[in-house]
Amino acid sequence: MSAPTVTTAHAPVVGDGTSVRSRSARRWRRARWWLALLGLVVVAGLLSALPEPRTSTLTLAPDNPGDLGARAAAQILGRQGVDVRYVRHIAEVRSLAAPGSTVLVVGDYLLDADQIDVLDATGADLVMVDAGWALGLLTDTIAAGGGTGGEPEVRSAACDDPDAVAAGSITARGSLQATGPGAVVCFPAAGTDTDLGGAYAVTESDGRRIVALADVAPLTNEHLAEQGNAALVLRALGRHEQLVWYIPSLDDVGAGDGSTDAAPGQLLPPVVPILALQLVLVVVVAALWRGRRLGRLVTEKLPVVVRSGETTRGRGRLYRRARSYGHAAAALRAGAAARSAARLGLPRSAPAPVVVDAVARATSRPAHTVEALLYGPPPTDDRGLAQLARDLDHLESEVHRT
Amino acid sequence: MAVTWRAVVLAALGLPVVLLVPATGTVLLWALLVVVACAVDVALAASPREVGVRRDVPASVRLTEPSSSTLTLSHLGRRRLRGVVRDAWPPSSGAQVDRHRLDVAPGEGARVRTVLVPTRRGDAHADRVTIRTLGPLRLAGRQASLTVPGRLRVLPEFASRRHLPSRLARLRELDGRAAVQVRGPGTEFDSLREYVIGDDVRSIDWRATARRSDVVVRTWRPERDRRVLIVLDTGRTSAVRVLDAPRLDASIEAALLLAALATKAGDRVELLVFDRKVRGRVASATGARVMAQFADTLALAEPALVETDWPGVVAQVRQRLSQRALVVLLTALDPAAVEQGLLGVAGQLTERHQVVLASVSDPEVDTLRTSRDSAAAVFDAAAAERVGLERAAVAVRLRQRGAEVVDALPDDLAPRLADTYLALKAAGRL
Repeated sequence: MSAPTVTTAHAPVVGDGTSVRSRSARRWRRARWWLALLGLVVVAGLLSALPEPRTSTLTLAPDNPGDLGARAAAQILGRQGVDVRYVRHIAEVRSLAAPGSTVLVVGDYLLDADQIDVLDATGADLVMVDAGWALGLLTDTIAAGGGTGGEPEVRSAACDDPDAVAAGSITARGSLQATGPGAVVCFPAAGTDTDLGGAYAVTESDGRRIVALADVAPLTNEHLAEQGNAALVLRALGRHEQLVWYIPSLDDVGAGDGSTDAAPGQLLPPVVPILALQLVLVVVVAALWRGRRLGRLVTEKLPVVVRSGETTRGRGRLYRRARSYGHAAAALRAGAAARSAARLGLPRSAPAPVVVDAVARATSRPAHTVEALLYGPPPTDDRGLAQLARDLDHLESEVHRT
Repeated sequence: MAVTWRAVVLAALGLPVVLLVPATGTVLLWALLVVVACAVDVALAASPREVGVRRDVPASVRLTEPSSSTLTLSHLGRRRLRGVVRDAWPPSSGAQVDRHRLDVAPGEGARVRTVLVPTRRGDAHADRVTIRTLGPLRLAGRQASLTVPGRLRVLPEFASRRHLPSRLARLRELDGRAAVQVRGPGTEFDSLREYVIGDDVRSIDWRATARRSDVVVRTWRPERDRRVLIVLDTGRTSAVRVLDAPRLDASIEAALLLAALATKAGDRVELLVFDRKVRGRVASATGARVMAQFADTLALAEPALVETDWPGVVAQVRQRLSQRALVVLLTALDPAAVEQGLLGVAGQLTERHQVVLASVSDPEVDTLRTSRDSAAAVFDAAAAERVGLERAAVAVRLRQRGAEVVDALPDDLAPRLADTYLALKAAGRL
C-alpha cells in the first residue's frame, strides 16, 4: 500500500527567523550569568593567590613561621646582608656551596654516606644541627653523645670559643663530645664540666670550620629570643655572605650528580611541559569538534513498560510473604480439579464427590487418595506446598478420557 | 559555529613545530593561527539561513514498511554551499541515515532522501532540519536548525491479514459459492436450483417443484448488510504489555481483520475508540474506504491511563445502533475491571445486540502457572492459577448474560475473533 506523496510544507522554509543581532543578543543573555560567575571565580583566585608569601610547616624551615620553624633566624640573617638559599636537594647544595660560604644541615636521618661526601667535598663551612651520625663521618674530633630528651635547659658557655663567649648562655639539650685535639665543646649540662659533653662544638679541619649543635631548640622561632640563643645562631650562620640552608628531603637520593635516579620531574626533557600545553590545545579543539551536535536530540514519548504478568507475580509474592499456604494450595487444587473435570467432560458446576469419583476412575487410583490430594488439608510449609504441586501435576498427567 | 576534524589536525600539526621551537610562545602563536584560520573559514562559509528547504513526506505508511522523507533545498546565497544537512526524525521513525553531504553552487538546488522504517504506530512529527555549511578550508563552518513541518502517519501493521484468505474461503463456503457445493447454512433465502443427489430432502421446495417438471431445492445464504460495531477500549487495561507490545496492538490487529472480513461478507462495519470519551470513530464508510479509514483511525489509538467508562460505551452504542447488530468489545478480561465496569452494563447490551468480548491473554501467566523451580515459583504458580480461575469465572458470568467471550494469546486473537464472527454468521445469529 503506497500512499501518495503529499507536501506538508508548501512554501520552502528559509532561515530560522533569527538575525545576527537577535542571535548575539540571545547568546549574550544566555551566557552573561556564566561569564559573571567565571569572572568572580578568577578574581577570587587572584586575590587568594596574591598577598601571602609561601609558608611551610617543616621543622626549622626558613619559611616556617610556627614555633618549630626558623623564619625569625632566616629573616634576621637576610636583613644583615646574608644571602640565605633554602634548598632541599643535595644537587643544589653541590652547585651553590663553595669555600667561603656556609652550609646549614638540619638533621641527618635522610642523608646517606654519598650525600655526606658531597657536603665534605664542597669545602664550605658546615653548621650541623641535630646531625650526630653525619658528624662522625665528617670529622674525627667530635662525636655525638646522648640526652636530647626533656625540656631545653639554660646552659652557660664554659669554654673560650668567641661565639660561645659572646652568647653567654643558651637554652639547649643534648651533648657532643670532643674525641680529638682541636675540637672545642661548650655549653655543658648544668652542673657538669665540658669534658662530659656540651650542646655546642666547633672544630677546624682541612681549612674549614665545622660547627655542631646537638639541639634544634636555639634555632627555633620559639626559643631564638631566649638567653643568648640568637647571638650564637647568628654568629654561627652569619660568618659568610652565602648561607645554604639545607634540609634533606625524602625524594632526594644519591649524590645528586646524575649517577643515580633523579626525581621523575627532573628526568623529563624540558620540552615536555610545552608539548603538553600544545596537546591541551589539540584536546580543546577536538572537544569543540565532538561537542557540537548537528541539531538537537529528538525526543519522543515511550509506551508503558509494565508487563501484564507483574500483577500475577505480585500476588504470588503476597501469598509467599503472608505464608498463606492454604490460599496457594487451594488455588493449585482448584486449577487442577477444574482442568481434570473439563478433560473428563464434567460441567464446571460438578460437585466435589463427582469430580473425585471421575478422576479416581480415570487414573485408577483409590478414591480416598484422590480426595486427599484434591480436597485434603492445606500444607504448612514450602516443602509441603511444592510436594502438593508435583503430586497434582502427576495426577493431572494421568487423567485421560476413558 | 562548528569545527571539523580538520581543525583538530591543524592543531595537532603544531606538535612538531613545538618540538622544533620549544617555547610557550610557539603554542600561543599556533593557537592563534588555529583560531584565525577557523574564523576566516566561518566568515567565508555560505549562510545556512539562505537556503530554502521543503520537506515532502508520504501521508501514511504501514508499520515496518519503508518510507522516505525528501528534502528539497534551494540555495539562495552567493557563496558555494558545502556541508551537511540532517533531516531529524524521532527514533521510532527508524531513519537509517539522516545526514547527507551537500555541495551546491549558488542558485542551484539539491534533493536528499532519508529512508524511514517506522517501528511504532501513530503520527511521527519531523524535528528540525539542521544545515551545517563549511568554509573553503573545511576547518569550520556555520550551523542553523530550521523548523520545517513534516508528519508521517504510521498505520497499524495489519500482520493478521495473512489469516484473511483462509477466512474468506470459509465465507465463500458459507455463501454457497464455493467449488465444493456444501449447502450454505443460513437463514436468508437465496435462490432455487435443481435437486442433485446428496441435497437435504427437507430443503425441497414442493411448490416450485409442482410448477416445473424437475425437483427443485431452495438454497440459503447467510444474511448480508448486517451491522458490526467494533468498540476498542483504550482504557488503562489496554496499556499493559503482553509479550513485547501493548495489549492494544493485538486488539487493533483483531479489529482490522474483522473489519476486512465483515466488509467482504457484505456487512457494514463501524468503529468506536473509547475510554472515557470518544477517541475516534469510523461510521458510514463503505467499500474500499472502510479499511483505509479503519487504519487511519486505529493508527492514532493510544492507551490512556484512565478507567474505561462502560455506561458511556453503552450510551454510545445505543446512540449509534438502532437495530440489532454485532457489538465486538475489544477489551481485557481483567476480573477486577470487568466486575467493576462491564458486568453491570453487559445486560443492557446483550438484550438488544449480539455481543462478543475479545480479550488478549498473557502467555507469561501460563509459563508462571507451570513453573515449579522453587518455593517462590510455586507461589507464583498458585497466583497464576488463581488469576486463570478468576478469568474463567468472569467469562462464565459474561456468557450467562448472553455475551460470547474470546480469550486468546496476542497472535491468536485476530483469527479466533474472525472464526467467532464466521460461526455467528453461519448460525444466523447476527
